[in-house]
Amino acid sequence: MGLAAAHCLPLPPVISVQHLTRRFGSLTAISDLSFEIEQGEVVGFLGPNGAGKTTCLRILAGFLPATSGGASVAGFDVLKESLEVRRRIGYLAETVPLYNDQRVEEMLGFQGQLHSLSRSERARRIPAVLERVGLLDRRRQMVGHLSRGLRQRVGLAVALLPEPEVLILDEPTSGLDPLQRIEVRGLIQELALEHTVLLSSHILPEIEAVCPRVMILSEGRLAADGTHAQLVETLGGGSCVRFEAALGAEVQDAQRLLAGIPGAQRVDDRGRLGIHHCFDIQCDEDLREDIGALAAQRGWALRELSWQKPTLEELFARIALGFDGDRTGPTGASTEESPPPGSAPVQIDGCPSGTGGLGEKPTSGGDFLNPFNS
Amino acid sequence: MKGTLTIFRREVSALFQSPLAWVLLAVSLALSGWIFVAVLEESGGSVKASLAFAGGGSKVYWMIMLFLPPLLTMRMISEEARNGLLEFLLTAPVSDGAVVLGKFLAAWFFMAVMWSSSLVYALVFEVVGSAPDWPPVVGGYIGALLVSALFCALGLLSSAAFKTPALSAFVALSGSIGILFLPALAGLFEFGWLGDTVAAVDILAHFHRSFLIGVVDSQVLLFFLAWAGFFLFLAVRIVEAKRWN
Repeated sequence: MGLAAAHCLPLPPVISVQHLTRRFGSLTAISDLSFEIEQGEVVGFLGPNGAGKTTCLRILAGFLPATSGGASVAGFDVLKESLEVRRRIGYLAETVPLYNDQRVEEMLGFQGQLHSLSRSERARRIPAVLERVGLLDRRRQMVGHLSRGLRQRVGLAVALLPEPEVLILDEPTSGLDPLQRIEVRGLIQELALEHTVLLSSHILPEIEAVCPRVMILSEGRLAADGTHAQLVETLGGGSCVRFEAALGAEVQDAQRLLAGIPGAQRVDDRGRLGIHHCFDIQCDEDLREDIGALAAQRGWALRELSWQKPTLEELFARIALGFDGDRTGPTGASTEESPPPGSAPVQIDGCPSGTGGLGEKPTSGGDFLNPFNS
Repeated sequence: MKGTLTIFRREVSALFQSPLAWVLLAVSLALSGWIFVAVLEESGGSVKASLAFAGGGSKVYWMIMLFLPPLLTMRMISEEARNGLLEFLLTAPVSDGAVVLGKFLAAWFFMAVMWSSSLVYALVFEVVGSAPDWPPVVGGYIGALLVSALFCALGLLSSAAFKTPALSAFVALSGSIGILFLPALAGLFEFGWLGDTVAAVDILAHFHRSFLIGVVDSQVLLFFLAWAGFFLFLAVRIVEAKRWN
């Protein structure tokens, strides 16, 4: 990934992690993790609880030392130059640690002093970040009296105050109700336009909505790394056209004819529903027009003709959890392609989305924002 | 150390915002004031005797000295480790030492404010015309500061070492009582060199021989600061170790 990235962007990576391992006693939280994140990227750490997301973020934030391997943020080693690193990151832990006995602006003032901001800088930045997170009218309120969603926003404001190069957000929407979640997600999307952001979540729609690049962690290892479209293309292979029609006695013929369409890799018989018969035609390209034309030519009464791609959720289930989920999805037939958990990470070689723009589509058919972002 | 002052200010404002601190302050001042007035009446108005009592001669004085520091410091690290604020501080661009030192200074400052009541009593005498003997008063105050430093450092160490404030306060209190009374206990029996060693760290003896007669011996000064520094050093190491597990 690093080499490919170097061709796209001359800047050194903002975050560089090499063979990072962290053990807690006999438990290995993360194992031989390596990746790089370029300036302006928005990267989502995805993984089930206990996959090592928080541990990795804590190491990058300078809180935990690694057992072996190394990591650098903005060119500074997280262990040897920890204070330099801490000056350059805005880290928001999952628990959103804030002093409940302080007012919102006092909490921000404290953070400003910790980061050695001058009085005039604090006076300038505090209203600015409060405005950014929409808390300007609550700056005199006690932190302890705020709702969970507002606390989260204060936490984001605290992380943003020193104008960090990198924002590291651990489960930024955990514990929020759906409305607050949408709010915070929108806020992160805005921040993503200006900062390098690394966030973790076990909630897939979150990652799909916010992060162009996804890293799937499983049992402390990097199981997959790439844009959603790349992951789907490379790992999925499970795109298909679902075809359902009244075929009468022509079921065998239909299967043969469908398999003969150029581009069709395999036809899976999904069985009969009433008078209709259902097939999934595995293919990399959208063959709906060809199949539609065939149906018209043969006089089959169409009931469904749809282009189905594996969702990140299905990929996640396959890669991280090592199972295929229920086989209703279009990925059902391609279990054999998924790597077992704990195997080498699947590196998707391509230029990472350097601008961090949302909705970027590095490859065709990668419109991954729609399913969940509506 | 960079950040120490920031942490100190935050802790002081938190202390003075919490009801606990005001209750401790009120109870301590009421008790010492009551003792002071009682001694003043009983001694027939002896300025010297009453000030000596207010500055370290009474049991109440030592009760306050033992109980307050653990109660002030018990939450400072243990609670923050639990609610994640320690993670916030340890990922801020300040060293672990600055965090511990800032908190220690805040607790110490609180004790300094509280003991300043003895200075106020002396000042009142000065104003009303019966000038007190200032060296023992000032010496007593410095002594109170030094013993407070020692116990605050011990309290902070305990707060770093234990997960709950209550346990931390209990252990710190036990430790403080041990430090204060072990030499007296050791003096009752024949322990040889061990007894001599314990006797050498006799705070009460230091107090009576040095501060209360208005003499601040550099050796004694060093004794208290070195022990307080040692406890703080251990506290920093424990905070550092928290990063590892």
